[in-house]
Amino acid sequence: MNKKSKLALAALVALPLIFLTSCGNDEDADDINSDLVEEVISNVKNESYYQIPSPDEMFGFIKESGLKYNKSMLNPVQNVSSYSEPKQQSLNFGIYSADLAYTAAFEEYQESIKYFGSIQKLGDQIGLSSAFDKSLIERVQTNLNNSDSLIAITNKSYFSVVDYLEQNEQGDKLGLVASAGWLETVYIVCNTAKYGKDNAAIDRLADQKLTLDNLLAYLEKYQDKPDVKEALGWFQDLATVFASLEQKSTGSGITLKKKEGSKKMVLGGGDNITITEAQFNAIKNKVSEIRNNIVKVQ
Amino acid sequence: MKSYIKIFLVVMSILILPNLSNAQYCNNFHASFCNPSENELYKINGQSKSALFSKGQTSELSVIVYKGQDYRISLCMDENLGSQASLKVYETKKVKVEKVVENKTMEDVIDADGNPTGEQKEVITKETKVTEEIKKELLYDGSADNFATELEFSVETTRRLILEISIPDAGGAGKSKGIATGKGKMVKSSEMGCVGILIEHMTTPKTGFYGTGF
Repeated sequence: MNKKSKLALAALVALPLIFLTSCGNDEDADDINSDLVEEVISNVKNESYYQIPSPDEMFGFIKESGLKYNKSMLNPVQNVSSYSEPKQQSLNFGIYSADLAYTAAFEEYQESIKYFGSIQKLGDQIGLSSAFDKSLIERVQTNLNNSDSLIAITNKSYFSVVDYLEQNEQGDKLGLVASAGWLETVYIVCNTAKYGKDNAAIDRLADQKLTLDNLLAYLEKYQDKPDVKEALGWFQDLATVFASLEQKSTGSGITLKKKEGSKKMVLGGGDNITITEAQFNAIKNKVSEIRNNIVKVQ
Repeated sequence: MKSYIKIFLVVMSILILPNLSNAQYCNNFHASFCNPSENELYKINGQSKSALFSKGQTSELSVIVYKGQDYRISLCMDENLGSQASLKVYETKKVKVEKVVENKTMEDVIDADGNPTGEQKEVITKETKVTEEIKKELLYDGSADNFATELEFSVETTRRLILEISIPDAGGAGKSKGIATGKGKMVKSSEMGCVGILIEHMTTPKTGFYGTGF
């Protein structure tokens, strides 16, 4: 190595050091190294994470349970350009994401394309454009006749948004998106299922009492943000309606074990959540009130 | 020349490490490194998660599992975290608990004629309050199952579960210890790595003969 190369290499190594030392007071390089690494260590701590099931899980289930597709339940795509406030945009991004999952689950392909366009448009406005791979929309179009692929692609787009928001430490925005997405799934189930007829869907609705607990725990983490605090208030109101649902014992304690003669483990026993018609109607009214407040166009 | 490269690598690692501290590079680790089921009926569940762990750390993931569904949970991690991560499954539920609360107040002592004596006495009143508490019940302990990293089960009643993941510390114990601070933590970065929990679900397959055959 000649002298010039050595000098260039020394400068390359020295530059970051000069930059680091110039930020401190009288600290030597060793102290600075320790502080930086300390930050790495102290950022890793025991955590509790609260997960909210994505809309596709619910819609896959209700389709199997025999509920019919009802287009009038969706937030019209024409509304997308009316949402100008960031809070409104994040919430309606969640609403449209659930609507997209609904259309995909019921193989309403042309509608899926429209809703994909809406979430892309809102995504651009709330800084999520890089979460969308440009090829995604092309893949939606090329998989129009393959429902499994379409569902997989729409799920991928939802998961990539979740991933992007987590990566960029925008848990507050993710809270708004996920809670509105969950609300839209519950809204659609409430307004398409008939009490006393669609028992599987009604039972699944009652079980949302547990999901709502996770949702509240998630939002509470970010309640220092005014938008999240406001949304938390809505969902706390809804939780008081869900609180009246009784949990009845199945007669045996909860277990997770292999059943006799079976290789598979079974999670069974414990309590079942029950719902009366009056409770169903109360939930339906409250959910509709919150949801319609989110989607309303000024 | 070799020493220049060493210095350069050290400096670059100092500059890069704080970015890793945000656990960003662990995102989606589960999708890339946890083995999905070979059963094509299983779909990836949106409650899957990845995070940055250090040795000795314990973290919890609260998930909802619905009745009528099968779930498969698989755990994967960076090699430097070892191979004995423990997965525990708890059920959590809110239970109403009656608590008797004692209130102590000071009251004037009254004589037989109903006049204050100028003295005071302590009066204890008891009040029953109903509060909600979170009850946690252990359902499965992976350390008693040869540190299994996969768990598959059918759900008969919808539950809110806690998946507790513990990475043993350098001494091999699974209990979480406080994270030490101080100088010379460069070596500690090798005690950190990604952990992923891949959750998959499908409708519980019906078994037996169905239909109205003759």
